[in-house]
Amino acid sequence: MNYGNRLPWHGLRPCRGWLVVAAIVAAIGLCGCGGPGPDEEPNEMALHHVLHTRIKGLDPGDMRDVYSIMVGSQIFETLYDYHFLKRPYELIPLLAEDMPEVSPDGLVYTIKIKRGVYFQDDVCFPGGKGRELKAQDFVFSIKRIANIKYLSPNWALFDDRIVGLDEFREYTKSCKSEAQVDYRRTVEGLTASDDYTLVIKLKKPWPQLTSAALADISTAPVAKEAVDYYGKDIISHPVGTGPYKLNVWRRGSYIELVRNPTFRGELYPSEGENGDAEAGYLDDAGKPIPFADKVVWTVIEEYQPTWLLFLQGKVDATVIPKDNYGEVMTERGQLTAKMKQLNIQLKTFPDPSTFWLGFNMADSVLGNNKPLRLAINRAIDRQKFIELFFNGRHLVADGFIPPMMGCYDPQIKQKGYARYDPQEARKLLKEAEAVYGAKLPTLKIAMPGTDTWSRQFGQFLERSLNAVELEVEVQYMDLPTYEEKVNTKSAQMFASGTTAGTPDAQDFLSMFYSKNASPGPNKFDYSNPEFDRLYEKAEVMRDCPERDELYRRMEIVVLEDCPAAFLNHRVAYVLHHDWYKNYKPHAFAYGLSKYRRIDLAKRAAYKELVRR
Amino acid sequence: MTAYIIRRLLYTIPIVLGVLLLTFVLFTVAGGDISLEIAGKGATQQTIDEIRQGYGLNKPLFFSWDSQFVNHFKNALTFDFGRARDREPVIDKIKRGVGASLSLTVPIFLGVVIISVGLSLIVAFVRGTVWDVLAVVICVAGMSVPYLSFILFGQYFLAYKWGLFPVFFSPDLSMARNVALPVLIGIAAGLGGNLRFYRTVMLDEIRSDYVRTAFAKGLTTQRVLFKHVLKNAMIPIITRVVLAIPFLFLGSLLLERFFGIPGLGYLMVEAIGARDYFVIGAMTYVSAILFVVFNLITDICYVLIDPRVCLE
Amino acid sequence: MIELPKGRSLLKDGLRRLLKRKLATVCLVVIAAYFLLAGFIYLAEFFDWQIGPTLWQEQAGESYAPPSSENIFGTDIFGQSVLRKTLYGAKISITVALCASLVSIAIGVPLGAIGGYFRGFVDEIIVWIYSTLSSVSYILLILAFAVVLRERSILGHKLTGITAVYLAIGLTSWVGICRLIRGEVIKHKDRDYVLAAVSYGCSRRRIIFRHLLPNVFHIVIIDFSLRFVAFIHAEVILSFLGLGEANRPSWGAMINDARMELSRGVWWQMAAATAAIFIISLALNIFGDALRDSLDPKLRVL
Repeated sequence: MNYGNRLPWHGLRPCRGWLVVAAIVAAIGLCGCGGPGPDEEPNEMALHHVLHTRIKGLDPGDMRDVYSIMVGSQIFETLYDYHFLKRPYELIPLLAEDMPEVSPDGLVYTIKIKRGVYFQDDVCFPGGKGRELKAQDFVFSIKRIANIKYLSPNWALFDDRIVGLDEFREYTKSCKSEAQVDYRRTVEGLTASDDYTLVIKLKKPWPQLTSAALADISTAPVAKEAVDYYGKDIISHPVGTGPYKLNVWRRGSYIELVRNPTFRGELYPSEGENGDAEAGYLDDAGKPIPFADKVVWTVIEEYQPTWLLFLQGKVDATVIPKDNYGEVMTERGQLTAKMKQLNIQLKTFPDPSTFWLGFNMADSVLGNNKPLRLAINRAIDRQKFIELFFNGRHLVADGFIPPMMGCYDPQIKQKGYARYDPQEARKLLKEAEAVYGAKLPTLKIAMPGTDTWSRQFGQFLERSLNAVELEVEVQYMDLPTYEEKVNTKSAQMFASGTTAGTPDAQDFLSMFYSKNASPGPNKFDYSNPEFDRLYEKAEVMRDCPERDELYRRMEIVVLEDCPAAFLNHRVAYVLHHDWYKNYKPHAFAYGLSKYRRIDLAKRAAYKELVRR
Repeated sequence: MTAYIIRRLLYTIPIVLGVLLLTFVLFTVAGGDISLEIAGKGATQQTIDEIRQGYGLNKPLFFSWDSQFVNHFKNALTFDFGRARDREPVIDKIKRGVGASLSLTVPIFLGVVIISVGLSLIVAFVRGTVWDVLAVVICVAGMSVPYLSFILFGQYFLAYKWGLFPVFFSPDLSMARNVALPVLIGIAAGLGGNLRFYRTVMLDEIRSDYVRTAFAKGLTTQRVLFKHVLKNAMIPIITRVVLAIPFLFLGSLLLERFFGIPGLGYLMVEAIGARDYFVIGAMTYVSAILFVVFNLITDICYVLIDPRVCLE
Repeated sequence: MIELPKGRSLLKDGLRRLLKRKLATVCLVVIAAYFLLAGFIYLAEFFDWQIGPTLWQEQAGESYAPPSSENIFGTDIFGQSVLRKTLYGAKISITVALCASLVSIAIGVPLGAIGGYFRGFVDEIIVWIYSTLSSVSYILLILAFAVVLRERSILGHKLTGITAVYLAIGLTSWVGICRLIRGEVIKHKDRDYVLAAVSYGCSRRRIIFRHLLPNVFHIVIIDFSLRFVAFIHAEVILSFLGLGEANRPSWGAMINDARMELSRGVWWQMAAATAAIFIISLALNIFGDALRDSLDPKLRVL
């Protein structure tokens, strides 16, 4: 007989445990309640941005990913940069005094450095005071990239370009470690003829030197004192010449830059393109910059929380998350009433990017089967793709040179390389089978990503190709595995894309140059002697209509051979609050926080508005 | 007693060795060549070889004094985990993440233990009644819902729709506010299984003879429960509780990922995605060490509670 | 003539008691239904029948159509029927759980039996192996295994993503069953029937497989039913972390997609997948408990 069963309920006093439990739950619940977090000083002007991936490091020589460059560009400056307002994009001197003097044969560049530019104050300098920038600092930065022990991913930019630099790299191979390299060793093509003059000697003409190299963050001057003092920790201790310096960096979650007190000072541009004055971009003309005292980035990988923070007024600008599109834009492409009520502004701009489904030309099935490649091209409905995945915002890629490039061929759409035609696809597949000699095997697509978006993209491709009776299998993998597969030429088809770093279409064309085969940028393993010939001719030409013509011809050569199915060019839709001033989208420059201004009164008003 | 402890201590050594061997085999041998990724796009074969040499990846695997395994072993013993792929020292990453992880897992742990042990006593007491059945039903139901669904529902309704909690980690909010919702979800999801377990333990005890005797003697329910049943049920309870502690350090992978809490769990998920074997190997090793240590503590606790264990 | 009651084996007795409990029987039916569904899908794919779940790819409505009379669970981004996807998902989940269970039983039971029976050095090694494995957090281990096993080949057979997942889960889960079996074998080793078998010169292998294992097997069954739930849930988590079946609908993938979809108000995919998992987990949990109660030798009547 078990007596425990029937004892009355009221015989049990409330357990002490219950009270503890109730207290804990209540405490937790109360903590979470209440509104958003504490407000910041109303008089401090701070810009709030969101990063969707953590940055890797703040060492310019080592920077390659967009997010690190976004942050680093406010701290470091380069010799040249793009004018903020002028379009078409114009390169102007930033740390340089003037545009470079180029010798008639195009091999020697003489660049004068601005005087009175100082590195920020830092403990690595004697007395903690930053010293003046000298031409030798540029020599040092580039030599550092050449140092093989430094393992910079930016070396490819300088490979076989500057006289004596490759030999210097050979020398560094014999050193035991990065710190033991003797930077005083002369490199003939990289010298400072005096403290304020930099002389670069090239092996062969390189018209993109100023835009691709000297405007690239990797050539930002780095103080040798900083490198010696911090060693490998220099990624978290940036010492630059720019308008901002690093204040707080909580890795993976939060970065804060503050105004650099010893910044030499610059002025907001007084010229721009037509329409800038009306748009309000010239309201601050001639004023000293930077305006904002702080620039803050929070790392939030998901779009939903970012969107919420934006609506709460805690983030200045954001892209429109795909799943909130209906909240923001009406069917006719206008801002919804809700957005207008909150005075939120929309800026759209096409960015110089192209995305594609690439083919491995070295693959036994795809390589010499042009009908097959063409069939795949015809089977994909780009318009539907853009509608499903990008809310219809992007542009169909008829070629691979984006529309905003100077050499873009306005007639390219008529040439019909990207038209959707499943009937023709089926016909081409029959031809393809004849070429292959048997029933076509299941083709494999390598997809860099295992998240929802990648899976849906893969499913879309699968559905498109299955609809014309072509069997495919999409293999999802993480980025490192994907890169390995593509670099070792073991992927049959792969989904990829790129964005140009300069207004020169060469970034796109270099992907088809046979000498750049994997692991270089030519992942398609494409090789066409005609193309190579034209490429080598254009390589040494300066920007001119003849070169544009050559670029267009090269594009047609590639499109005829069909080494990829080019899908779309991205168009960015960015929302920002109306207190975030001087936000003019720029396709190439990143160091623009110095121009932004916050209208504090408007921001305070907004916060009141959303406090319900 | 000391002999017992020393025996247990000695026993941990082969385990640690085993873990080192495991991490080595998994991440160095089977993991594949990472020099390709480190070299970056457009690198030549030469650069890749240089990198391989720099990381010591061209040394023999096992059979030499300077082999990779020996180095791996030496590094682990000195807790020198080197630098991660993004050049930050791994040990710094771990130090940074521990605080955030603990602030999430400790409240969940405490909440679950206190609530489930407390409730299990009550439930064991009222077993057979409607309340007991209800409790069991809720537990089993709770155990049957996938963890991810708990998180999604919680995040969607409590944070996004009704705005009671922040949706995502925000550095300008206090830590308490940031972890409030994940803690609530963690407790809710963890209660089911734990409560059932403790209930079973309590029930087993209540059925024993000595409890019947105690009731027959006329002792009140409280005395029976707290003074006798609880103490004797302690062994399985303590085992479970103490052995859960080492896993507190790893944080909850899912909760951290969903709510963006910058803890060790988040670090792990990231490292796995980036195939950062340095970080994964280091974390696996640390968690194993912790587990071994707490296993030892559990064994010592056993002895203190039940001296008969020594004679085993 | 006195009728001697027929002796009943533990299993038969247990089954009888089990079926007496109505709830347990209902659960058994539910579980059987899931298995049959999975089996049906396999059959349908093998014979290329185009009905129901195998037609999951067909466009059944507009993109993201809410539940209606045409599509009870609504549609997803491509207009595919969520109902069909959910049914198809049973195949994936059941397969994962079954394969993982088989792998872990195939490894854990023999090792546990051998270790428990032979003791000595062999036992020490086995205990060392599973102690090492269990000192690493479960998810970590699965992730590590799955990541490493991907793209590798075993015996010339290339491992696809999902196969690596089955293996990974199985390879990390055999520890539990191994421990249980080992404990039981140790207890049974000195029982009379074993000593009797030894005395008449029975080979050790026969002792283990013919005598010991059948008597401890009920543990395997109970463990199996409870583990199954854990494996189904593990598939969801692995899907979230990027491992798992990506080309076919699976419950884990559906819940994972729900993250993005919830913010635009699309709740039906997640609800359907959660419900599907909930029902089978509930059934397995209740059934497992009932099984444990009925197979408990202490509660045997006669």
